[in-house]
Amino acid sequence: MLEFLLALLTTATVGALLVPLLRVSARRTERLDSALAIYRDQLAEIERERVAGAMPEAEAAAARIEVERRILGAANATDATAHAESSGIHRFLPPALALLIPLLALGVYLQIGRPGLPAAPFSAQRTAPHPNPNESVTVEQMLAHARARVTEQPNDPDANAALGEALVLEADGTVTPDALKAFDKALAGRPDDPRAQYYRGLHEAQSGDSRAAVARWQALEAKSAPDAPWLGMLRSEIARISRAAGMPVPTRDQVEAMQNLDPAQRQQAIRSMVEGLDAKMKENPGDRAGWLRLANAWKVLGENARAADAYARGDALAPLDTKTLTDWAEAHIRQIEPGAAPSPETVAVLQRLEKAEPRNALALFYLGAASFAAGDKPEALKRWKTLLALLPADAPIRAMLEERIKAAE
Amino acid sequence: MNRRLLFLLPLATLALMAGFFAWSLLAGRDPASIGSVLVGRPAPRLDVKPLREGEPPLTDALLKTGKPVIVNFFASWCTPCLAEHPLFTRLAERDGAVIIGIAWKNKPDEARTWLKRLGDPYKFAGADLEGRAGLDWGLSGVPETYLIDGQGIVRRHFRGPITERDLNETILPFLKGAK
Repeated sequence: MLEFLLALLTTATVGALLVPLLRVSARRTERLDSALAIYRDQLAEIERERVAGAMPEAEAAAARIEVERRILGAANATDATAHAESSGIHRFLPPALALLIPLLALGVYLQIGRPGLPAAPFSAQRTAPHPNPNESVTVEQMLAHARARVTEQPNDPDANAALGEALVLEADGTVTPDALKAFDKALAGRPDDPRAQYYRGLHEAQSGDSRAAVARWQALEAKSAPDAPWLGMLRSEIARISRAAGMPVPTRDQVEAMQNLDPAQRQQAIRSMVEGLDAKMKENPGDRAGWLRLANAWKVLGENARAADAYARGDALAPLDTKTLTDWAEAHIRQIEPGAAPSPETVAVLQRLEKAEPRNALALFYLGAASFAAGDKPEALKRWKTLLALLPADAPIRAMLEERIKAAE
Repeated sequence: MNRRLLFLLPLATLALMAGFFAWSLLAGRDPASIGSVLVGRPAPRLDVKPLREGEPPLTDALLKTGKPVIVNFFASWCTPCLAEHPLFTRLAERDGAVIIGIAWKNKPDEARTWLKRLGDPYKFAGADLEGRAGLDWGLSGVPETYLIDGQGIVRRHFRGPITERDLNETILPFLKGAK
């Protein structure tokens, strides 16, 4: 009904616009015709009066010329305006637009705005990259599945956490008492289960204890691996709850958040996080990326021995690339006492680095030092001279290197 | 000249309206607040059928026990009610508050299912299917919450869901002070 009324209204509007637009040119010729008719009448009258002798010949001629001039003038004027307006778009654009815009609107409406269209809910869009998008799981199915799993394995933390999550979804996001029980059971089996911890915090936030929720979530955030898939969501939840409760919103980035701590505390916090990662890697030693991440973290903290060790663990799983090999070599080199020769492990890593990248400055310099310490002066000289040739003219270590070369010679 | 002034009229109207809207936004008044005539007066009549089967109906006597009570109008179809519900659960469990829940314009079995799923914090629960009690209490919708002291005087009327802030700044001090 409403659609019909709207269509009627649009048609009436378009009609009201089109009729005068289309009529303009018609009316213009009409006007010229009526003007000409008047002049023709006038000419006829002049002729009648002249014939009847009511008007002298000369006067009649003057009057006729006057009228004829007017006729020409009128025709010219109409011609001129008609010319200006009919030329090009002026004549066709307004009616065309008046028709085109409603038609376009109708097309767009039928394409994307019509009420009968199938719904495109946000959740469907989100699950679109799912391998099987046709198979959407309803909350009821999830719940039934989770219940079945808990019946099978009543004490499995994963099963309990999944049940709790399904119950929360069923309650439109409220952590219900039943869900809470499931999460507590999950936490009893695995105290740092991230899902159960998250929902436990959500319950705290929902029942008026945002402070506890944020504290719990921040602890979870600190314990999570830097690339844990839930970190983004967790951080935005922390920000949301903090804001809602009028608490200072923690900065998104962990590192930024730590700037509120004093340096010693910050160092302590970072160290405890890395220790946590270390412990996790010992439980799960097959994770090569984890070892490399740990190695990098130790290196940043200045724990070069532990960093070198972690690199070695990662390398044992699959050989490192040149870039990581360089980092590994650096971790070793930083352990060299001033004036002492590189250790055999360091030399082994450096030799691999040299093999991968024959012009690597780090390898050339320290392998030269190792050769020198082993008494192989020609080998040391060969490496150092290669390095010297590679160094830019203003390199700060140039002088030191030249001195060493001189000493070797 | 006069015609030109006429053309300025829509612009002037627009400026006037923009000014009014700007004032409304910036004057700091809460457009959602419609106040309450009940605060400071004795609570309205309470005469509601029970929600849970086998319980006595709710009467005025429940409001004059010498202890503070919280009266909460809710409905299972109301989303803000869902948001404030855990706060009532917490008030009942942790703070021992006496809460009277009235399901407003809500089918009793739907309200009961809802409470079963979310937990039932109401010591007394009524069903106001026709919304008669809602009229008596000056309800504008659900959820609304009234704090009533031991003498049966309305001390506070929340229109809309209660929040953590209401809980900490108003309700908990009220329960403590009125005890």
